[in-house]
Amino acid sequence: MIRALNLTKRFASLAAVDKISFEIPKGQVVGFLGPNGAGKTTTMRLLTAYLPASEGRCEVMGHDVSEEPLAVRRCVGYLPENNPLYEDFEVTDTLHYIGTLRGLTDAAQRMDRVKAVIKSCGLKSAVGKKVGELSKGYRQRLGLAGAIIHDPDVLILDEPTSGLDPNQVLEVRELIKDLKKEKTLLLSTHILSEVTATCDRIIIISAGKIAADGTAAELSGNLQNKNRLYLEMKGPAQAIFEALSNLPGAARVYPERDGGGKEGLIVESEAATDLREAAFNLAAEKRWPILAMDQKTLSLEEVFRKLTQEQPQ
Amino acid sequence: MNESAPFVQFYAVKALAARGFKTYVESPSAYVVLFVFYLLTGYLFTLPLFLTGQASIIGMNDFVPLLLTFLVPALAMGLLAEEMRSGTFETLATLPLEDWDITLGKYLGFAAFYLLAVAGLLFYPIVLSFMVQPPSHLDWGQTIGILCSFSCLGLMYGAIGLYASSLHKNQIVALVTAFLIAFALFLFGKLDNFFSGPLATVVDFIGSDSHIMAMSKGVFDTRDLIYFAGVIFGFLYLTAQRLSSRRF
Repeated sequence: MIRALNLTKRFASLAAVDKISFEIPKGQVVGFLGPNGAGKTTTMRLLTAYLPASEGRCEVMGHDVSEEPLAVRRCVGYLPENNPLYEDFEVTDTLHYIGTLRGLTDAAQRMDRVKAVIKSCGLKSAVGKKVGELSKGYRQRLGLAGAIIHDPDVLILDEPTSGLDPNQVLEVRELIKDLKKEKTLLLSTHILSEVTATCDRIIIISAGKIAADGTAAELSGNLQNKNRLYLEMKGPAQAIFEALSNLPGAARVYPERDGGGKEGLIVESEAATDLREAAFNLAAEKRWPILAMDQKTLSLEEVFRKLTQEQPQ
Repeated sequence: MNESAPFVQFYAVKALAARGFKTYVESPSAYVVLFVFYLLTGYLFTLPLFLTGQASIIGMNDFVPLLLTFLVPALAMGLLAEEMRSGTFETLATLPLEDWDITLGKYLGFAAFYLLAVAGLLFYPIVLSFMVQPPSHLDWGQTIGILCSFSCLGLMYGAIGLYASSLHKNQIVALVTAFLIAFALFLFGKLDNFFSGPLATVVDFIGSDSHIMAMSKGVFDTRDLIYFAGVIFGFLYLTAQRLSSRRF
């Protein structure tokens, strides 16, 4: 598990990470979201014992990062941003090299692990090739294979799908889904669909501070100060508009298209007011069939924008 | 740091050294440096042979120490600077390695390649031994002494080069820094005539010249060996400190 307490990193007078605290229990997959320059990479570098913290402390699997950096590095698998690799190495050489430096000194054991990660990361067709000849998707797989070669308890992945095409993104995402069955995983990204697809929990960081922490539904719910009800009814448009506007509790009514291009109406009310029953009774009374009704929540994109734009860089 | 770890992890040093050596063997730029080295030493070997009939590699002794102040930093400039430029240093620094593992691994990879390059100079005396009649006229003690002095100088400049390479990700900056330090040591050895008394002794000791003089005659003095070992250890220590300041 990972624990950060008032973690701070200053570069000269600039606080790249400013007193952040969070805890990630064993087996949880956490998405670290934030705009560029928010402090995601710096936080990951603090957690992997690459950079020393200016203040505060962090622990990984019970090891204090500043006091036991070697123990922390042993139990963490880390994929740095941009996935730097030795271009002149072959795929298996890279894995053997990293495996040896990770302490897999027994040749037979190392070979077993190399074979296992080649299989689990889908690198079979890349064996024998030099790293410089690999596509970006395969490079990313190789970076991931290197990060898990020692079967770590904790995986920290800095933008694992950055720069990949949609097919490659899906491949890497599948790989992460397989890994999340048994590891504590912290992954940073600014691709929002990525976190909804892979993460149990989201931490949004902005200007070095934690702006939000919770599941996608929790974040959306916390930020939503209005209730928005989407309705499609069959009947005279003007009459429907007026009747909905006159519903007790309705603050505003405006047209909106749904994902399929159909146009309906949004009835906005106070967060505590649920208009679904009133809307149903109205439709029944007027004999306007309801074609669609949906209680709208804030999308992750909206949550992200709201949280990160309120704290400008 | 509370955790008790060995001073160095030998498996890691070995893996890093092997990787460094392999990089040299496969690197075109290392071969360019070797080409210049063998071309110039070959010229210095053949010139006195044909002009004065002198069957010795002593002709190299005047120029090679100066040549090494540039060629060795050129070999060592990428040791850490290239890792920093390409970003692989972050991978290396987040592996469970001590600063001394990285320092020694990188240095020993260089040392193995450099010593092999110096051993290549044996080609000249071996060829010479076939030409000189009788072969006993070739002073093997002196020959081995000269090659040892080149080895000591190169290993010392290599440690300086490794330290310079840890300072900046730009290899040219590393090259110039290492050259300036190595050249300063070379120059000190030439300046002792300008000083007198204890100062002359100090300048003479700092300079590399006086420490290869006896060795090139086949005489090994402990003080010379301590000088080279001390400078090498000093710069390796500085490198480890530099790595420590860059990460935990």
